Amino acid sequence: MMGYLLKRLAFMGVTVLAVCALTFFLMNIIPGGTAELILKHTVLELEEIPTDEQIAEISSRYNLHDPLYIQFGNWLAGALQGDLGSSYIQKKPVSYLLLLRLPATIQLAFAAMSIAVLIGVPLGIFCAIRENKFTDYILRIVTLMGVSMPGFWLALILILFFSVNLKLFPVAGYGELRYLVLPAVALSAHSLALTLRMVRTGMLEVMSQPYIAFAISKGLSPRHVIARHALKNALLPAITVLALSLGHMLGGAVVIESIFAWPGVGSLLVDAISGRDIPLVQGCVLTIVGVFVTINLLVDLTYTYLDPRIRYG
Amino acid sequence: MNRQRNLLGRLAILLAFIALANAADGSGDQTLTVGEIWDIEGLDPASGHSVTVNDKALIVETLIGVDESFNLKPLLATSWKSIDDKTWEVNIRDGVKFHDGSELTADDVKFSIERANELDLTVRSLLKLDSIEVLDPYTIRIRTTSPNSIMPAILHYASIAIISPKSIGDDGEFGKLIGTGPFKLESFDPQTHILTVTKNDNWWGGEVKLNRIILKPITDPNTRALALESGDVDFTVDVPYSEAERIDEIDGVNVEKYSTPRIYRIEINLKHAPLDDARVRQAISSAIDRDEIAEYVLFNVGSPATGPFMADMFWANENIKSYDYDIDLARELLDEAGWKDSDGDGIRDKDGKPLELSLLTYIERPGLQPMAEALAGQLEDVGIKIHAEAVENGVSSDRQKKGDWDLYLSATNTGMVPDPLYYLGLTYGTDGSSNKADYSNSRVDSIIRQAYETEDQEERIKMLDELEEIVQEDLPVIIMANYGVAIAKKDYVKGYVFDPTAHDYRLSPDMYIED
Repeated sequence: MMGYLLKRLAFMGVTVLAVCALTFFLMNIIPGGTAELILKHTVLELEEIPTDEQIAEISSRYNLHDPLYIQFGNWLAGALQGDLGSSYIQKKPVSYLLLLRLPATIQLAFAAMSIAVLIGVPLGIFCAIRENKFTDYILRIVTLMGVSMPGFWLALILILFFSVNLKLFPVAGYGELRYLVLPAVALSAHSLALTLRMVRTGMLEVMSQPYIAFAISKGLSPRHVIARHALKNALLPAITVLALSLGHMLGGAVVIESIFAWPGVGSLLVDAISGRDIPLVQGCVLTIVGVFVTINLLVDLTYTYLDPRIRYG
Repeated sequence: MNRQRNLLGRLAILLAFIALANAADGSGDQTLTVGEIWDIEGLDPASGHSVTVNDKALIVETLIGVDESFNLKPLLATSWKSIDDKTWEVNIRDGVKFHDGSELTADDVKFSIERANELDLTVRSLLKLDSIEVLDPYTIRIRTTSPNSIMPAILHYASIAIISPKSIGDDGEFGKLIGTGPFKLESFDPQTHILTVTKNDNWWGGEVKLNRIILKPITDPNTRALALESGDVDFTVDVPYSEAERIDEIDGVNVEKYSTPRIYRIEINLKHAPLDDARVRQAISSAIDRDEIAEYVLFNVGSPATGPFMADMFWANENIKSYDYDIDLARELLDEAGWKDSDGDGIRDKDGKPLELSLLTYIERPGLQPMAEALAGQLEDVGIKIHAEAVENGVSSDRQKKGDWDLYLSATNTGMVPDPLYYLGLTYGTDGSSNKADYSNSRVDSIIRQAYETEDQEERIKMLDELEEIVQEDLPVIIMANYGVAIAKKDYVKGYVFDPTAHDYRLSPDMYIED
């Protein structure tokens, strides 16, 4: 187990490094001059044409003329010592900007995830028990809508209904708990629907296994059979899906963040990309990838707990 | 089952609780909450945040202002005059106090201009600064490296707002912004980027009616509309153009549409045949139905235009050729230029080559992409095939630089510096930095040179009138419409007067909330 863990950690390091390197080079080959876009996101209007002197000054200020491998090497050397550099556009340390955004992102992702799990799992079980009954059909149609609805549309409908009409929650912003409700619900819709369907399918499959029939015929209560015997096995695929969506929620909630004016890492990254704010892009990507691979590892470790037949070594 | 019902009950109680908590707050006592369109990333006027702190938060002021006809007017400076062709003398208002109580003097002005010149690369290229001399506590002399007749207009540029040197901390970093404006900084939340300012009781300009302005960045236009509707904000701009009418009809809310000093224009690549033929360019301009574009693309957020300057600008030449929608004239001009539809496919051709042009634009401004599509449709009516393409601005500007374009649609500011020479020189001068059409006319160049050296306002405007007429005939740039803004606010917000000279919008110290 220990050996396996070390091997995984080493691979994680390689993955993170590879993604950072790839991001860095991609940022430099996408069209649009880095210096020009930095200028357009600071002192120039979008339509203004930078002068040659302005380009030259920005390029020398941020060493943009150096060969790419040297620029990346400098960034990496800093990052390994915990220094992620400073944003070209906001002119503040990248780590400071990330620390401002991370709490909001984590809060939103975990709230959405909790909604998906706390509602999706019980309803999934419920649907499986009532397979092909009326409530099952209704819930399956609703979840189909949940999976197909674009997040931004659902978000606007939620605002229209709960904020504008019922005045229950603020339209947008970040702060107390009431600001969290709508974005979390909007963000969770897709994962919730997916979880419900995964749990339902998993449960149905497991429930048809001989050992379940045996457990029931042994005289165990249905509740006991479902909770102790069936659920654990039915959850494995759902956990994989949930873990992946948690990763997306942490880094890719851009649309939801923008609609709800939620100060998360996703919109920070998108703004950074459009301004070619390379240190900030690198910092965001490093954070998101780091979280992603960590979640992956945790999920794999969870498997061994849920299904002791799985052994890593 | 029991447990589930319990859960629902708890949820209902929670919701009721939240509703109550919501109802409890929100009563604002002369507090104006604004849904701001851009994210607010900082407050330093010399580092790209000048429009926020100057036009919207009203914390700082410039030396020189402009009235609604774009005439310069005294602000922190009371008067200015040129001493010789490279020197301007500016007199500073007596008795103006910064928000910390200290008095505004010439040293602060010198400090602010020099700092903007050092940090803001646009200011540097505009000013051509040589040195600033403080003659007495209320007089400075600005020397430039070459004649700069538009100096007073440049001193209106928001990045050269006057700040107290105490805004800079002991560590040399920008700290708490201290200005002279009608509102002073109360707080700026580094996480949510919400900016709150409070009334400056000692403002030199008189009484300020609002107690507080809260600027909340909401970058999504749909969310801004909903936030206004729900009452989360009292004032916002640029709700989705297509929604402006509907929102205006909601009780308690109104939407006003105005034109701003920015134009939708098509630059033409004169190096690509047949665009080097003035008749083809004129045909394109005549084939554009500007009224239709203003109505169905912009939903009247903006107005049809053929010249670069809107009528509010006192220097606008209103006698230039207007290129009214005339599809017959367009066809005639194309026929004359030798482009005829010989194979009957609806697209004109000449020497076996069809008349096909690319139309490049960018996605960042909402009107551009639909306008490109509408233009493609209108030009196809006269037999010109248009390949419209909307990409990220970085990409479009890259392609324009490489010459990979025929027509380039943009929304360009014409009043950044309140002087006609600024826009005309950049756009039509042979070496003008925005002259991507590679337009070159020796008469135009000599007018620009002369105008830079002429300080007499009337004489300069007359020269530039001629320039406007020449370029309207040569037509290296076709203008379609004035860029509009939709100001949406609650009916109880009173005292707002639209300022056509502002970037986006300018709030006013005369605004108040009616009970």
